[in-house]
Amino acid sequence: MTVVGTTPPPRLPVRDRTAARERYAGGVSPMLTRLAEERATGVLDREHGTLHLAEGRVVHAESPLAPSLGVLLTAHGALDAETWRDVEDSAEMERLVRYGVTPGALELAQVSALYDAAYFALAPSSTPGRFRYGGAHWLASVHPVPVAGLERETLRRRALLRRLWPDPATDAAPLIRADPVAAPVVPSRQAAVLEHVDGVRRAVDIARALGRPAFHTLVHLRRLAAAGLVAAQPPPAPDPPPDTGADPYVALLKRVRDALEAL
Amino acid sequence: MPGIDECLLETMRLPGARGAALVDWTSGLALGTVGDPPGGDHETAAAEAAELARLAAEQQAFGPGDGTEPADPPVEDLILSNRDSYHVLRFVPTSFDSSVFLYLWLARADGNLALARIRLGEMAERLVLG
Repeated sequence: MTVVGTTPPPRLPVRDRTAARERYAGGVSPMLTRLAEERATGVLDREHGTLHLAEGRVVHAESPLAPSLGVLLTAHGALDAETWRDVEDSAEMERLVRYGVTPGALELAQVSALYDAAYFALAPSSTPGRFRYGGAHWLASVHPVPVAGLERETLRRRALLRRLWPDPATDAAPLIRADPVAAPVVPSRQAAVLEHVDGVRRAVDIARALGRPAFHTLVHLRRLAAAGLVAAQPPPAPDPPPDTGADPYVALLKRVRDALEAL
Repeated sequence: MPGIDECLLETMRLPGARGAALVDWTSGLALGTVGDPPGGDHETAAAEAAELARLAAEQQAFGPGDGTEPADPPVEDLILSNRDSYHVLRFVPTSFDSSVFLYLWLARADGNLALARIRLGEMAERLVLG
């Protein structure tokens, strides 16, 4: 009598996360690390922002999720908006100084805007980054930052937000005011953020309105969320299921899909 | 007209200066560092000093009592002392929204606290106003 044994099914391939982590040694973007090693000059486009490199160092950053240097400088009257456009069009740094922005103030604002936009540009992305070799940005000489330092700071910032309040919901969603039973006293800089919470604006909108770095706004919002004063607008209720009586499988498949998406 | 590094190097010329940094107190980022780090690591020292600066800057009770509209932040500087050193934190006023302070670690034996306070105030102003 022969015993027919069934071969066990092959193991599903699973990505070894620990190995991947070790390979990149805590790096945020392997591509950026490589560009730093080869001292590249050009522009790295990532899903949530753009990093400008000059000789392997990051000299400027932009992100749709962070107010630009122009917004930071113009929002509180350090420079008027028309002058900023004029300077940006000419791409001449000396003009800023001529219009009364001192080198120290420019450096402070630029380094603040750089780390701010880089935090979002280096956020985990679902599409690969793209690098275009080219000339250096017109603000390249203001305050170049080494890639390793920028990546370390970005990781530190993620950890800081997690420590303040672990739920990232307030980072990106429209925000609403919550009404805690015993509302704590809110410090003035957080109160300015709270005043702009209206059920429509997101963190980045509030940052732009205040002319304040977006990461600072995220910090304030996490503190406000921890105090129970702010919450993310819950997503709109799903549409009532359409009448799919004709084909019961469609309804079943949709329920399966919804359940999978909710995982 | 100084930038961040020139400002920090000038801070180090104060008698008794051990280390200095320019720190953002909302994020805890050290925008520049020079000299020895208090506690052995500039980044950790910056983050810890930032936490202290934030607590001081956010309390209205520490603002001036003359009834005028308090500045942002209402505090000028913060001084800590221990057996062998001073830590002086000087808030930097800017014409745009920021939250930075100059941080000086000063040896108590050779340092002059009154002089350091005055010079830090001057440097904070010159950094932004040129």
